[in-house]
Amino acid sequence: MAKVSREDSNNQMVCLPEADSALSPEEAAVEEVHQPAKMTCLEGPHSNQGPDKSCGPVAPEEELVSSSQLEEEEEENEEEEEDLDPDLAPDLEEGVDAEEEDFGDPAILSAVTNTQRGLPSSPGIKASGALGMSPASLHFLWQTLDYLSPVPFRPTRPSTSSPVRHFGPRLLPPDPYVFCSPPTSWSPRFSLPSHLTQLHPQHQRILQLQQHSRTPRSPAKKPWSRQSDAYANLMTRKEKDWVIKVQMVQLQSEKPCLDDYYYQNYYQKLEKKEADQELLGQRSKVESLKLVTPYIQKAEAYESVVRFEGSLGQVAMSTCFSPRRAIDAVPHGTPEPEIGAASSQRLRVLSWIEKMFLQLLEIEEGKKNGPPQSCYTEQQRNRVEKLFQALKTQEQSNLEEAADGFLQVLSVRKGKALVARLLPFLTRDLAVSLLLAIIHHLPLLVKRDAADQVLQMLFKPLGKYISHLTFHELLQGLQGLMLLPPGSSERPVTVVLQNQFGISLLYALLSHGAKLVSLDPSLEEPSSDHTAWTDIVILIAWEIAQMPTASLAEPLTFPSNLLPLFCRHVDKQLVQQLEATMQLAWIY
Amino acid sequence: MAALSQLKMNYMPGTASLIEDIDKKHLVLLRDGRTLIGFLRSIDQLANLMLHQTVEHIHVGKKHGDIPRGIFVVRGENVALLGEIDLEKESDASLQQVSIEEILEEQRVEQQTKLENEKMKIQAFKDRGLSIPRADTLDEY
Repeated sequence: MAKVSREDSNNQMVCLPEADSALSPEEAAVEEVHQPAKMTCLEGPHSNQGPDKSCGPVAPEEELVSSSQLEEEEEENEEEEEDLDPDLAPDLEEGVDAEEEDFGDPAILSAVTNTQRGLPSSPGIKASGALGMSPASLHFLWQTLDYLSPVPFRPTRPSTSSPVRHFGPRLLPPDPYVFCSPPTSWSPRFSLPSHLTQLHPQHQRILQLQQHSRTPRSPAKKPWSRQSDAYANLMTRKEKDWVIKVQMVQLQSEKPCLDDYYYQNYYQKLEKKEADQELLGQRSKVESLKLVTPYIQKAEAYESVVRFEGSLGQVAMSTCFSPRRAIDAVPHGTPEPEIGAASSQRLRVLSWIEKMFLQLLEIEEGKKNGPPQSCYTEQQRNRVEKLFQALKTQEQSNLEEAADGFLQVLSVRKGKALVARLLPFLTRDLAVSLLLAIIHHLPLLVKRDAADQVLQMLFKPLGKYISHLTFHELLQGLQGLMLLPPGSSERPVTVVLQNQFGISLLYALLSHGAKLVSLDPSLEEPSSDHTAWTDIVILIAWEIAQMPTASLAEPLTFPSNLLPLFCRHVDKQLVQQLEATMQLAWIY
Repeated sequence: MAALSQLKMNYMPGTASLIEDIDKKHLVLLRDGRTLIGFLRSIDQLANLMLHQTVEHIHVGKKHGDIPRGIFVVRGENVALLGEIDLEKESDASLQQVSIEEILEEQRVEQQTKLENEKMKIQAFKDRGLSIPRADTLDEY
């Protein structure tokens, strides 16, 4: 803020108004410099006005003058070193440049000569001393400002006779944008690309209307403009840039895709849209700008808490970064209390799923960021393997419990999503084992899955691996479904048929089996496998026929070789019945 | 250096900042309900505001009154919202300007009626055995 007494901003506030006074390309600004040094602070605003304006001093507000006066007098000597700051130099230079003629003010002259003398001295330390910052942070400042001000700094030594010549890098020629405020002169160029600032459409329309209505008008003074002009630029450009810089620093991040996900995605969409537009012939190559935060080296992190061997507690060192650090409240290695309730079991499952999900996200991130072949890297494979193990066994030694755990994971929607997303990464064997486990537990899964939609997300990834099943594996899986559980007259298949995912999976399996059989004539030979297969097919056909059409679920895909398969193994009457049932169900 | 603050929008697209609001007349609504109107002269990264030629704007019904206050420095966290005032539109405001004493009196009256209504409401609730949780005591729940 302009009024906050900070050493650097003070310096800036002091010297820049003088520079700002010369920002306008007109030489009229020159005259203003003639005013005594005390008033230079307030002369700045005048430059806003056109060349026809008078340069009479405006009655300043008491507070503003006195503070700036004091500051200027106190820090006049220190401010010179600031010229080494690259973005400061041009300001000085500009201010100084315009004063080429009749530059008589002694105070300013001495300031300039002092600055020259200041040059050869070791810049870094003096400047930092003036600014009251450590050399490290000054360097940091330079880094960021270097980023912000791409113009290179070339110090030159003007001669004493004309102390006012090109003092530093000659910046842009009179830039219409150079000047800051008054809305009248600014607004015609004030264009708001809609994607940069989100305005309400009505607001935008109003602004556009204003722009159109203002552009034809000459920069005539309005009653209020004269008044505000007197105090405009109290916040100098330097200070504004400083605020922007601080904000940019706050925004920096190592992984913008994560931290700033929505903006990055939005920007990608925008770029794509513009690229498409350009391709389609909308010639205007609109360069939409992206927010690029400066990359700043992180300050070295250090441990401010020291632990000694065998001691209780920690000794906290207080430093400038952490003046007081409370003893960590984080327990280290305390075992969680055993609560043997069902809710805790559920919570455990949920937290387990979360942990696995994090691993999955890492795997997906690896795939996304790395080259296309990265899914085969050692690290990636290890990760996948580890996750699979975690999923399958949940670190339980007991197989039954592990299977149970797997089932519990699958009962949770997020668990299903986890498995669905993990499947593409798995090798054939691992995926097949998962598939078989799912088939084996299908009735249970179906029963537990209240929302059909959720299981369906598994269908596509699983479907891919169904075609990898061997005949034997397929038989194994399907046989499990056919077994009559003790004490029940209903086969598990019935339940499966009533569920969309179940029936789709079943059809897919049968279709695959039929394909295998047709491809491999050896399977046609009477063998235990073949009989088992035929039995399964007949049984399923029978079950389908038995089921009332209404309760038969609609499959996600209907393989074309199913009916022929049934035809082969089942009698005609049943086939007709089947056809009717299945197709009816299908139409629904 | 290029006029960073001018090209500010180019440097910081996709962000909101007060930089371009500087030197414009704003209406600032504070958290305590006060309304300030003034020229925004300076800001900082915490959105602390420095307002110039500030006027405290009191609005009761169709009348309004302005108390000139001079320079304000407002701590950023106390600002509820702020918006630029269109100077052209401002002149055709529909509120009737009255003297400060009058508007303060109006405000006091308004506050009083509000309190009385509130009291009546609470009494009515109490009579029916209910209680309205007040915003300042909600933390207990």
